[in-house]
Amino acid sequence: MKKVSFCILSLILLLGLSGIANAQKLPTICAVHPFTGPFAFAGIEGSAAMQDVVDMTNEAGGINGKKIQYYWSDGEYKNDVGIAAFKRLYAQYTPQVMFGQSTGMTKALGPEIKSRYKVLYSAYTMTSEAANPKENPYLFIAAPTYAEQFGVLLKYIAKEKPGANIAFFYGDSEFGREPIPAGREMCKKMGLNVVAEEVSQVGGVDLTTQILDMKAKKVDYCIFQGFVSNPIATVIKQSKDYGLNAKFMGTFWSTEKQLIKELGPLAGEYVGVSAYSFFYQDDLPMMKKIKEWTKKKYPTVEYRSQSYMQNFMTTLLFVESFKRADKMKGGFTADNMVQAFQSIKNYDVGGLMPPVTIKDNSIPVGRVYRGNASTMQFDPVSDWIRMD
Amino acid sequence: MRCGDFKENYIDDEELFPSPFTKFWLALFFIFLIAFPFMANAHLLYIANMIGFAVIGAVGLNLLAGFTGQISLGHAAFIGVGAYTSAILVTRYGISFWLSIPLAGLVSALAGMVIGIPSLRVKGLYLCIATLAAQFIFGFTFVHWESMTKGITGIHIPPPAIGGFQFDTEKNFYWITLLFVILGVGYARNLVRSKMGRAFVAIRDRDLAAEIMGINLFRYKLSAFAISSFYAGVAGALWVSFLKVVTPEHFPFMLCIQYLAMVIVGGLGSVIGSIFGAVFMTLIPEILNVLSDMVKSYSPGMGKLIIPFKQVVFGSLIVGFLIFEPRGLAEIWSRIKKFFTLWPFSY
Repeated sequence: MKKVSFCILSLILLLGLSGIANAQKLPTICAVHPFTGPFAFAGIEGSAAMQDVVDMTNEAGGINGKKIQYYWSDGEYKNDVGIAAFKRLYAQYTPQVMFGQSTGMTKALGPEIKSRYKVLYSAYTMTSEAANPKENPYLFIAAPTYAEQFGVLLKYIAKEKPGANIAFFYGDSEFGREPIPAGREMCKKMGLNVVAEEVSQVGGVDLTTQILDMKAKKVDYCIFQGFVSNPIATVIKQSKDYGLNAKFMGTFWSTEKQLIKELGPLAGEYVGVSAYSFFYQDDLPMMKKIKEWTKKKYPTVEYRSQSYMQNFMTTLLFVESFKRADKMKGGFTADNMVQAFQSIKNYDVGGLMPPVTIKDNSIPVGRVYRGNASTMQFDPVSDWIRMD
Repeated sequence: MRCGDFKENYIDDEELFPSPFTKFWLALFFIFLIAFPFMANAHLLYIANMIGFAVIGAVGLNLLAGFTGQISLGHAAFIGVGAYTSAILVTRYGISFWLSIPLAGLVSALAGMVIGIPSLRVKGLYLCIATLAAQFIFGFTFVHWESMTKGITGIHIPPPAIGGFQFDTEKNFYWITLLFVILGVGYARNLVRSKMGRAFVAIRDRDLAAEIMGINLFRYKLSAFAISSFYAGVAGALWVSFLKVVTPEHFPFMLCIQYLAMVIVGGLGSVIGSIFGAVFMTLIPEILNVLSDMVKSYSPGMGKLIIPFKQVVFGSLIVGFLIFEPRGLAEIWSRIKKFFTLWPFSY
């Protein structure tokens, strides 16, 4: 019994100690990454990207001599675990900026971030709700929203084939459905016809009904949303068998190496929008820097994904906000951080994105890329397209 | 048996607080629960609230699965029904939070009764599948009945208030959670020693024999579904009022499994087992998170290995408990109590 009592007391003590607030004035970033669970592919890369930007900045002297502190925890891509981790990190480190793991977590914490925590916050999400400064000035996304990404693709289509027939093919989830209403509106404005809307579960394998429906409705362009790889690869492969001659497009999370690997020789059939340049575009100064850093710190790592780039970009914005807020009266206060962030204009990020200007707490710019079956890479097929 | 603690009739045997020792320790525990928010930070209070919601939901499921023997895979759906009912009543119809909680329970109870109808004809795995349908039917409704549920966007819920006092922080909401946990656990403890509770157990042990004894299966099985769903509805309503938002993604199928795991790990057919199960399933992952964070901070390179490993540890703990104590944490608690009953003169 003594052992049991000892264990219980130790655990209580451990939890108690973890809660002792560590008040300090150093610039501090806390993050909840989906390091395990279904979104781990992004979380592992994302946590590394944040660490890299923090290390790079600290090596270069930090924020006017102040070293950035970075702490993170695994949120398992579960809302309750993520929120608990957020509250634990906040209680321990009282950071000025925080990063969350999902749309669900962002929606759940949004009201409290505005009323209580008052930290500059971004997440692994591109939902419009996180880019509405009138509603919540603390939330932002370092990319275009899903709706804006649809806008980039639709602009590209309107230029390539005016009056084209469009199909939206989306997952039956929050992630899948979010930009659809905005997409319909934009099609109307651009003179494009939404002739079909197909819904599927993530990983669906029998998609004959949807493919035949798109064929019957003479779809010219099919835009996927809410998937990472499957069923996109399956639809593209099966559409060849059923004689559907549409062009296939997708948004940020599917415009990644994994999909073109699955497509193999059909990689050229997929066109996607991304907010960032790719790791192999080493003519860009920032990519050169990331490559050199990766070679030095992680010699076995050969590729950095778009999730890495998203977190890299977000952390660059955190750092820039810190630098600007530090020069303001009061330093890293919540209001200063928001003001500093929103003041970012034509910020040069070495080609990772075009010079960044914050608009309504997002960066409404994207570029269209096509898969290349011979190099297994994405090649840019448009210039950067702005949606403001 | 403790010295001098004689039971002279069945009423004594069924007392809620059978001895002065029980009363003393319970009183001490209540003092701790009341003092807790003044000692804990926001994170610990968040965990305490989550444990509270889990306790209410798990006690409800135990009444159905543990006491009545009706396995349900629709518990997450009933939690969702309660959550949406409360959110809609508060935001759309301006009904007070305090009234919305019992109404959420009642609507969930109604949903539970409808889904429970197949229990009169099917048992075991077949009933599982029938109740699983609830998960999909209600899940679909939450997403597609946009005019009422606001679809995937979800509903933002204002914090509960009394006059000018808002229950908008973990500390303030803790009192609401504590109140409902006490009410829920107290009612369940009373129910299981009542005629209805004994009928539930009789149905679980052998429904044909129970019917021959005069127990109305239709009435009691549906009552079990209704009461269990009522608990689920209240838990859901409290949970989303605490989070201040409800979306369809709050109620995945895994939530049902999590609640079943709470009931099984805690101990089927035991109210205190449900409490232990809820505490275990909520607290252990959090402790493992804290431990893995500590290891990560001392040895940053180990993060990649240690963090996924915590899920292996959690899984192993559950399997370990089921192998070494299939009757759950409640049985371990019972053994600990027995040890102390005769301490220091145990033989």
